[in-house]
Amino acid sequence: MSLSKENKAARFAWIRHPKDFLFFKIFIWFWLTVVGTITSLVFLSNLATNQVSNEKLQGPVLKNLQYTAKSIERIALKHNRTATDILQNPRLAKRKLLYLSSEQSENSLTSRPPANNVDLSLINFTKTMAPQAIFTENFMAFGPIKTTLPEGIFYLYEIDENNHPPFFIRLKLMPTWLKIAVAFVASLALSFVFSRNLIAPITHLKQAANKLSQGDLTARANINAGRQDELGILGRDFNSMATQIEQLIAAQKRLLADISHELRSPLTRLKMATGLAQMQAEDQNQTYLLRIEKEANQLDKMIADVLQVSRLEAKSQPLSLHEQSMQVIITHVLNDAQFEAKQSNKTLHVEGQLDIDIQCDESLLASALENILRNAIKYAVHSIFIKLSLTDTINIEINDDGPGVEPHNLARLCEPFFRQSDARDRTSGGTGLGLAIAKNAITAHAGHLTLHNQAQGGLSVRIVLPINKQL
Amino acid sequence: MKLLMIDDDTGLCELLSEYLCAQGYKIECKHDGEQGLKAALNGDYALILLDVMLPKLDGFDVLKRLRQTKLTPVIMLTAKGEDFDRIFGLELGADDYIPKPFNHRELLARVKAITRRIEHITSLSNNQTNKLNVNNIIINLAAREAYVDECKLSLTGTEYEVLALLVKSAGQVVSKEQISEEVLGRRLAAFDRSIDMHVSNIRKKIAEYNSTERIKTMRGAGYVFIQGE
Repeated sequence: MSLSKENKAARFAWIRHPKDFLFFKIFIWFWLTVVGTITSLVFLSNLATNQVSNEKLQGPVLKNLQYTAKSIERIALKHNRTATDILQNPRLAKRKLLYLSSEQSENSLTSRPPANNVDLSLINFTKTMAPQAIFTENFMAFGPIKTTLPEGIFYLYEIDENNHPPFFIRLKLMPTWLKIAVAFVASLALSFVFSRNLIAPITHLKQAANKLSQGDLTARANINAGRQDELGILGRDFNSMATQIEQLIAAQKRLLADISHELRSPLTRLKMATGLAQMQAEDQNQTYLLRIEKEANQLDKMIADVLQVSRLEAKSQPLSLHEQSMQVIITHVLNDAQFEAKQSNKTLHVEGQLDIDIQCDESLLASALENILRNAIKYAVHSIFIKLSLTDTINIEINDDGPGVEPHNLARLCEPFFRQSDARDRTSGGTGLGLAIAKNAITAHAGHLTLHNQAQGGLSVRIVLPINKQL
Repeated sequence: MKLLMIDDDTGLCELLSEYLCAQGYKIECKHDGEQGLKAALNGDYALILLDVMLPKLDGFDVLKRLRQTKLTPVIMLTAKGEDFDRIFGLELGADDYIPKPFNHRELLARVKAITRRIEHITSLSNNQTNKLNVNNIIINLAAREAYVDECKLSLTGTEYEVLALLVKSAGQVVSKEQISEEVLGRRLAAFDRSIDMHVSNIRKKIAEYNSTERIKTMRGAGYVFIQGE
């Protein structure tokens, strides 16, 4: 449940922190560019007029119109008819709306009353008097043709009320706000799709790299095999790198496990032989045999630790989960530690309690705490402080009053076989794997182990474990 | 007393034979699963030491097939840290396990703990029959057998011992430490689940005949056998 919530939060994180996301950057820059370009184009194109558009008149339409104008002139001269009469002649009026525009607008004539939405005065916005096609939102006009009639000089237009102007002209005639809005929305959608497409492989790469770094070596970037661009190549390179790493690590882990296993057979025989020798040896040789036994035990412990680290790191060891009280585990570990500390004249100070039951691999958790405590006892001068507290997590802090750790070594302290001093002091008898085991064991329980130097000196190990009933 | 050791490490077998011979045991060694199983089924051994990793037939398979007919005590030799091996072996009816590489003294202690019981029982059977009857469970101490509603339970040696101990102290809580020390002859290691495994096996076997809950878990304290009315 909490996982899906986290996923959701991650998916929408770019809304809250857009600056942190490449996708958003690319998207916003594309979009702004497209919107900016379109808006400036729209503004430029609208500098002239916004309700009327015109084109030069050519071809049969022009000839036809010129012919009509000539006929009107001829009829007016020959039959001595008024312009009104001529225009209202059913033969002309039936066909199309003709408009005779006069310089005095009250003298202008039409063959029949125009439809309501036709505003003929728009025609007068055109500046040139050459014959042209005039486009307005609701009608098209062709003209003017100069027509000389007895009443004076008129300009003839043919009005087409039903024909809407061509698409591009209509676009041109759209109000500016609408044009910008359309550009806005269209470019938004396009930029979104475009930048998403561009970012998708990067997102896949990011997810795969993330999983890989968290130890899921089977993680691969989901890159379309057909993608031939740089990102496609990068994705495939990443995948082959991941495969390489997976194989190397698998081989290394197998080797480690095999070696440890193979080392155990001779070690068992060695211990057995020592046992036989001890039965027969004289007293003066017993010390040597005891020494052999002790060293064999140390070797055995190291092999077990190496195996455990390799198993934990490979996550090949299923946790055997039981509900167990933290206090029981802590008490058990502390009892042993108390004994160990007393032997080296150091004291353990415990503060707080952890009265809670959790699902855990108790022996693994105990060995984690044991290793940290053993380490603390080893390096402490006088005392070790253990603070236990329960918030919404289980918090365990183990501090010693020793020399602490060089800051640049802090991160490496949990690496297997890492030793702080190059002198590799063997006298302390550790295997160099304790903290590595502890860290891996805590991580396996979905917890965190962090190391700090305290202000007053000495190392502080902090463990935070989630209170998780079902791990 | 004759023991059977099934392990492919011939060197170890030799050393162990020598060691256990010195302690007064007779040892026979088999180096693969098939031969080992054959010997275990046909021979009459006081105890079997069984390695997990074996050629031809692995330790678990040997144990599984052996348990179909015989209840000879078995100590599994597991690799240290292999939690799964340990639990799986006990689930299949092993009496105990000992992680490799083992300490010779520890091995001897375990062998003794199990064989001593057998000696103890044989001495008992010479006396008059001694039976316990609590809550419809009958324990025949002489024959080392347990019955539920007149049906014989097929328990391994360790399971029988655990049940007998619980029945003997019916109504009282018996701690896991006590069970471990009395039955396995060793101190219970921290967070060791062996006793829980044995008890869970006993419960399963009783439940095959009668589903009344008889063994109750007292968390943190141990187990108690309910006396009934």
